[in-house]
Amino acid sequence: MGVEPTPTTHTLPLRAADFSSLAEALDYAAEGETGANFYTGGGELQTVLSYRELRREARRLARRLSSLGLERGARAALVAVTGPDFLRFFFACQYAGLVPVPLPVSIRLGGHGAYVAQLRNLLRGCRASIAMAPAGLMKFLDEAVIDEFELRTYGGPEVFDALPEADGVLRPLDPDEMAYIQYTSGSTRFPRGVVITQRQVLSNLSSIICDGVQINAQDRCMSWLPYYHDMGMVGFVLAPIAAQRSVDYLDTHDFAMRPRRWLELISRNRGTISFSPPFGYELCARRVSREDAARYDLSTWRAAGVGAETIRAETLERFAEALAPSGFRREAFLPCYGMAECSLGISSTPLGRGLEVDRVDADHLAAEYVARPAAPDTARVSDFVKCGPPLPGHEVVIRDAQGHPVPERHAGTITVRGPSVMSGYFADPELTRASLSPDGWLDTGDVGYIADGSVVITGRKSDMIIIRGRNIWPQDLEYLAEQQPEVRPGDASAFSVPGPGGREVVVLVVQCRVGDPARRAALVRRMHRLIHETLGIDGVIELVPPHTLPRTSSGKLSRSAARRDYLQRLEESERSAGTAEAALGG
Amino acid sequence: MRDYDEILTEVYQGLKASGQDGVRLDEDTELVGDLGLDSVQVMEMLLEVEDRFGISIPINILADVVTIRDLAVQIRRLTGD
Repeated sequence: MGVEPTPTTHTLPLRAADFSSLAEALDYAAEGETGANFYTGGGELQTVLSYRELRREARRLARRLSSLGLERGARAALVAVTGPDFLRFFFACQYAGLVPVPLPVSIRLGGHGAYVAQLRNLLRGCRASIAMAPAGLMKFLDEAVIDEFELRTYGGPEVFDALPEADGVLRPLDPDEMAYIQYTSGSTRFPRGVVITQRQVLSNLSSIICDGVQINAQDRCMSWLPYYHDMGMVGFVLAPIAAQRSVDYLDTHDFAMRPRRWLELISRNRGTISFSPPFGYELCARRVSREDAARYDLSTWRAAGVGAETIRAETLERFAEALAPSGFRREAFLPCYGMAECSLGISSTPLGRGLEVDRVDADHLAAEYVARPAAPDTARVSDFVKCGPPLPGHEVVIRDAQGHPVPERHAGTITVRGPSVMSGYFADPELTRASLSPDGWLDTGDVGYIADGSVVITGRKSDMIIIRGRNIWPQDLEYLAEQQPEVRPGDASAFSVPGPGGREVVVLVVQCRVGDPARRAALVRRMHRLIHETLGIDGVIELVPPHTLPRTSSGKLSRSAARRDYLQRLEESERSAGTAEAALGG
Repeated sequence: MRDYDEILTEVYQGLKASGQDGVRLDEDTELVGDLGLDSVQVMEMLLEVEDRFGISIPINILADVVTIRDLAVQIRRLTGD
């Protein structure tokens, strides 16, 4: 029997997430023929897991996990490698009354120590009772586990598959119990575990399936997004199951190496729904030749979702242009806005509209916090991509610094309330109180305004930096710098600035007392390497003399002032370079 | 199993072809620390290595690859399978 992917259509009537729990959603999907298909980096179909088989396997594993006699709601930390084992363990937890916690697979060149430290922090943060890592990653988990964790069992899938099956009836997680804990930030030192209940995630899935994407019986999903990211897990593991659709998976690392494989698989299997942060579209636009584009058939791709970081229209336009020969339609772009704290989705552009850009007077916005539409004689214009109206059942209110709601086109903090908003951050009441008001308003930390009912994001209130859809905390970068013998505490400041193509670029300004150029260069190289190993990002590292970084009146470092000064230095050096060029040219 | 020195020579060639020309390379050269490869360049380098040697590099081994020597040793191991 040759391996065939699961079919796109089947006779099972579509139900749109009208279930009371994730276990019930899988019970129903298992009555059909659809399932998950896993592809190798070479584009070969490696494993097929029908939802029927997934349910059978997950229930068997749930009985084995039950034999451990863990308390209800105990956490199961799962290193979330794209593959059948993660799905099996995630749903075994659902059936056994345990809470799955996906752990990242953030392995970088030379990043052994950093990855172990990250795993250790997350295991501690979620107070895991069991932990699972696939074979190749077991050594990292092994090193991360320390005695104080009181883990009952940890190991590869085979360790759990060898447990005896417990007798008795499985009692899946109830609607008001947790569905999972999602760690949101790329931070290694300050992990934030978002607690989402069954009811919350199912309400979001239902909004996405019925309203956001309007999934129908001909749809097929495709994803390379990591399972430890909200868009990857909720959007492309849970939503396909909750709507009984087949899904094709490519591992994130394979995508990063060969981005065109994403388009090939959509083309081959006639996929209709696939999402990515803007950088995924950008990577493809850069690699795809005209001949490649002509070989693909992307005419079936009707929902090309885009979100998780600042959306620039130019990036997506380049993609649409490069892929035009494949039949890709730019109306397929579906800009949306969301975050793990609201399960996944907050707002979504109406289908078929494509990119809608709001052109506003940039100076007026900066001075008056009002997004006035640009006129022909406006000196500076900012373009923002609209992210659509809030999903049904959700309210979005923009507030001023005092917390009062502001009118349309007035910019302020974006707050959201609704059935998909999290219960809080796991075991962190202080952080929860800071983000979630007693009457249910979530402070998103984003700044924006409402235009014609659509949410528009203009920036962030907090210092968090978003790179390639991942949240990066400046504290982590500053900490890395301060760990260097040449650098003292309080000598580093990190922030982001707009770079080429509108992408965010991380800048790390470090006060340094070392004069020797060779030692200074070595320090910069070392920090570059550490940032890469720990966070997987690149940035500009600038060494400045002591007392350069601005402080507030209370003596604290001010990142916004450091950023302003940096941009000024940059402008001055560009101006003098320009003068030099003009002199040479003259 | 490919000869280690032969692999090393090819790694040098590959890095030189991808813009590291004019940089002094030896076995102790750090890929990220010394050559300053960014995350996209790291992916391109790995792709080049996979295609050149006809291997698939499992993600877990990357965590211990810091220098050119580390990379060459892993390639030798993977071409030996």
